[in-house]
Order: sequence, then C-alpha cells, then structure tokens
Amino acid sequence: MAHHHHVTSADIAIHGDHLDNSKVAKLKTIALAIAVIGTLASVYMLFFASNQTKGSFAYSWLFAFYFFLTLSIGGCFWTLLHNVSNSGWGTSVRRTFENLGSTYPWMFLFGIPLLCPQVQQYLYEWMNIHRDATGDVKEHLHHADHLLYNKYWYMNYPFWLGRFIFFGVGLSLVIIGLRKLSTAQDTDPNPGVERLFRARFHSTYTLIIFALTITFTGFDFLMGLDYKWFSTMWGVYLFAGSALNSMAVIILVNAWLKSKGHLKHVAGPEHFHIMGKLLFAFTTFWAYIAFSQFFLIWYAGITEETSYFLIRNTGNWNTAMIALVFGHFVIPFVILLQAWLKRNPKTLSIMAIYTLCMHVLDHYLITIPERGVSLGGTHMSKGEAFAGLGPITPTIDGAFWGDILAFVTIGAAFIFFLVRALGQHSLYPNRDPRILESANLSN
Amino acid sequence: MSTTRKRVYGYLAEFKSASALYKAAEKIRDAGFRKWDCYSPYPIHGLDGAMGMKRSILPWFVFFGGITGTATAFTLAYSTQVVIYPTVVQAKPVNIFTIPAFFPVMFELTILFSGFTVLFGLLALMKLPRFNHPLFASKQFHRATDDGFFIAIEARDPKFSPNATRDLLSEIGGSNIELVEEEES
Repeated sequence: MAHHHHVTSADIAIHGDHLDNSKVAKLKTIALAIAVIGTLASVYMLFFASNQTKGSFAYSWLFAFYFFLTLSIGGCFWTLLHNVSNSGWGTSVRRTFENLGSTYPWMFLFGIPLLCPQVQQYLYEWMNIHRDATGDVKEHLHHADHLLYNKYWYMNYPFWLGRFIFFGVGLSLVIIGLRKLSTAQDTDPNPGVERLFRARFHSTYTLIIFALTITFTGFDFLMGLDYKWFSTMWGVYLFAGSALNSMAVIILVNAWLKSKGHLKHVAGPEHFHIMGKLLFAFTTFWAYIAFSQFFLIWYAGITEETSYFLIRNTGNWNTAMIALVFGHFVIPFVILLQAWLKRNPKTLSIMAIYTLCMHVLDHYLITIPERGVSLGGTHMSKGEAFAGLGPITPTIDGAFWGDILAFVTIGAAFIFFLVRALGQHSLYPNRDPRILESANLSN
Repeated sequence: MSTTRKRVYGYLAEFKSASALYKAAEKIRDAGFRKWDCYSPYPIHGLDGAMGMKRSILPWFVFFGGITGTATAFTLAYSTQVVIYPTVVQAKPVNIFTIPAFFPVMFELTILFSGFTVLFGLLALMKLPRFNHPLFASKQFHRATDDGFFIAIEARDPKFSPNATRDLLSEIGGSNIELVEEEES
C-alpha cells in the first residue's frame, strides 16, 4: 500500500524518541516488588521447605526460568539476524529487538539455583550418580552405568559448569556490545555508516555463540532431566519456539509503544505486516520441527527415544499434547493467513498474546511431566538422609501452585528489566543511516 | 482482397523514471480510471497501492486448493491403508491414530495443490497464455522490458476521451504519447 506521506529527515526526532519514565514508574515498581517478594518466597521453597516441596518447586523454577530465557535469547537472535542479513526493513523497530535481548544477562541470573547441589539433586539424576562415585568418577561409571560412562566426555560436572558460565557470559557480552554500538549512534553528531558495518561484521561469528547457547542450554537444562533420552532435533525445536515467541513479545512492545504515541512516522502497518509474517513463518516452522521430532521417534519406536513421548502421551498429559497440536499450530496457522490482521497492531497483538499462551503450554509440557516420574523414582545422592518422594505418578498434587509462583516471579522480573531497558535510550535508532529506508518501507 | 480495419486500443505514454511512473499512477487512480495499466522493466514496491488495485482473489483459490490437497492425501492414505487393506507397519495401529504416518503425504499434496492453484489460477486471472497483445503494435513499447516506463489507458474505459485523456497524460508528465491501434482482421 502506498504511503500518503513520504517520511523525510524532518520527521525523525533529532534527539531521539524517549519513553517518559515517570509514566512507567508505577509499572516498574509493581513488577520489581512482585519479583523481589517472589524471589524470597522461591528461595524458601527451593532450600528450606519440605523435601516434597523443594523437589516439586525445582521443576517449577526450571520451567519458568527457561520459558523467559527463550524470550530473551530470541531478542538476541533477531538483533543478530537483522544485522547480519544487512536488513533495512526493521531499523525502525530494531531497538526493541536489542532491548528484549538486553534482558538476557538478567534473566540468566535466575538460573543460579541450578548451580546448587540442593536443587540439582531433584532435577539431574546423572549428577547424583556421579556424586555417588567412589574414587575416579569415570572408572566408577565404567562399572555402574555404562551409558553415563559413554557420555562422560560431555556429561561431567566440570564441563557442565564451564558451559554454564559460557552460556551466561558469552551471549551477554554479545548483546551488550551490539546494543552499545547501536545506542552510541543516537547522540553522535557525525553518525556515519561505520557502526552499521561494525555491527554487521560482529554479528557474523557471534551468531555461532547464539546457536550454541540456545542448543546447549536446552541440552544441559532440559534434555539433561532424563540422561537416557536424547533427540538431535531438541536444539532447533527450542530455537523455533524462541524465535516465534520473542517476535510475539516484539510485536506487543511495538504495538504498546505505538499506542502511547511513540515510533511516530517511523513504524506503521508495513512493519507490523512483516513482523506478523515472521510470526506466521515461525508458527509453521515450529510445527514442522515439533512434528519431525515426534514423527521420527514414533515411527522408529526405539526404547531410549520413546520415553519422552510415552510420559507426555499418558493420561491428561496426552490431552494437553493434542491441544498443543491444534492450539500451537492449526488454529494460529489458519488465522494468521489473513493479511489485514497482520497489518493491524491490535489484531496482531491478540495473536501475539495467544501465541505466548501456547508457548507457556509448550514449555510446561517440556519440563513439568518429568517431575512426577523423576521425583518418585529419583536416585538420591548418598549424602542426603532422604528416602525418595513416594511412588512414581504422572503428576504431583498441589505442585501446580509452585509453577504459578515461579512463573509470576520470573515474569515480573522479565517485565521490569524489559521496561527498564526501553526507558534507557531512544526507542528507535534515530541516527541510523537506514532509518528513512525503514520508515518508508513498503512490502 | 481483404480489408484491414483498425480499432483504437488506447493511449500509451512514457514516463522518465520509476518514481515519475509511481506519481502518475496515483493521479490516474485519483482521476477514476479503471481500464489501464503500468509497464516497467522491474517490479516497483507499492505500485499496486499507487494504482489503487484491489487485493487479488488468488489467495482464496490457493487456500481451497491447499485444503483439497490435504483432503485428497488423507482420503488416499486412509482408505488404502486403513479401510481397504489394513497394513500393520512397525506395530503401529490401523485406525485414525495412524494419522502421523500420513502427515508427510498430506503435507506434500497440500503444497503441490497450492502450487498448482497458484500457477494455473494466476494464468487464468491474467488471461494467459495469449498470442498477441494490442500494445505490441506500438514501436516504442518493447522498451518496457529494457529502460522504458509506460502507462496505457484503454479506450474502453468509461472515462476515456480522445482529447481529455491525452491532455491528462501529458499534464502528469507523460511523453511520446501515442494512440495505439490494433489491427482487426
């Protein structure tokens, strides 16, 4: 569609388009208060409650932690992709990618409990088996558990710890650096094109750090819940959900900013149309990957691989899994086919919220079904005077409340850090050499 | 002896650049013309909006084409594998829950039928293939595939008038304005 008004440099806010921090102060205070109180309650639940509660809540925490981590990682992904693909369309909304990505270092801090043996013992049985070893761990495993012996080169505690630090530090440096490069331009009297080229160059090899982070956090934190199970599609499956739902957050943030009168002249229906197309594309990509993972495991029927789906296709979990097929793919696929819906920030926002709800269900089904079966039969480390958590059951009564607590806590922190990032700099890169190209976008 | 009669197709005007073509298209749209078109060596972003074109009906054809593909594949696989000749493969059930095994075929036929509907639907809507086009009678029109930007307004447009339309084209920056006549045999 034609623009009735051709955007020129006269329409660009010369000192940037800034969020009025006094207007979001209340939102930030409430979010921070919930996050702090929730974190204190969670520390109690993780370390000082009964064994039953500690074990259940460890899974709640992992679910909420990883859910919000996927959104932050996705923000890094869209920033990197926009830079490396030399894109011009999204310059107007690129700052939102960077702001979402900038929550990554903070969100990763919520993974700190995973470093504590008191939490690890409920989640990662392989660590318990390693800790039980007398003498040389590898030699012990050679006799005790040959699968863990074979996996020792990857699944050993020092390497796991090293990877944990790499995940936290690596991508944080990448996004902090790229965001600094971008925001420094906002106030430069001679902005030029140098930063554009530097951002493009540095986004090439750092894209590898992103890929390693999304893949191997998924392996270490989620696939590691059952050390016997493996899927080579796991990393790309998590990536699909991450890219899809971070785009949903980006759409919501931009629609909110537009409704508050920001991004005037620079972002409009054309930008929402493209972001809507990306939402649609990744809805399809997620389904393609999710089905491919299921299909190969289902058809081959190999014992080690089927455990994941056996647990999730039992009892009520099966209803939820079938709901995921329709709710996460069929319904949004048909709805998002329509072009007018993607051009309207309101209707697209509704679909973005819906997509995020499905992402909650997706990640609930990734993490939580492991809880009942694992805690019931967990092989506890010998140091603990603890005799197990009872029978193996599909679900644990009452554990649901812990899931909500963890989700609200980390979610409030996510909102706080995101809104904080939005208020720190101009909402769009007002001196980027491509801002006019993006403002006059037509697709 | 055969006599050759000529019929007026319409006016053809050349424009300097893609941007001049775009601006001229907006003016012709606003003047209310319906039977006219732009010709350019390459696609121009947003020209459909400048021309005031409605969205094509093609996506609907493709949507139903795709659904037909899905349904065809499901019927084919289900009736042969479950109803007519139940086949147990890899200890999988022989009922509706075998459906994951049919998904690849359902996916492929959805794509295939959608692709066919795009191609044939597009050809039908554009009335292609055709042997000739009246504008080929113009000596300058071949430049539309090289470096020329053209607008042609057809004589069958209700707003067309031999003098006013010519003046309009010249007013909005058209040059080499030519009355194109097609030969009728």
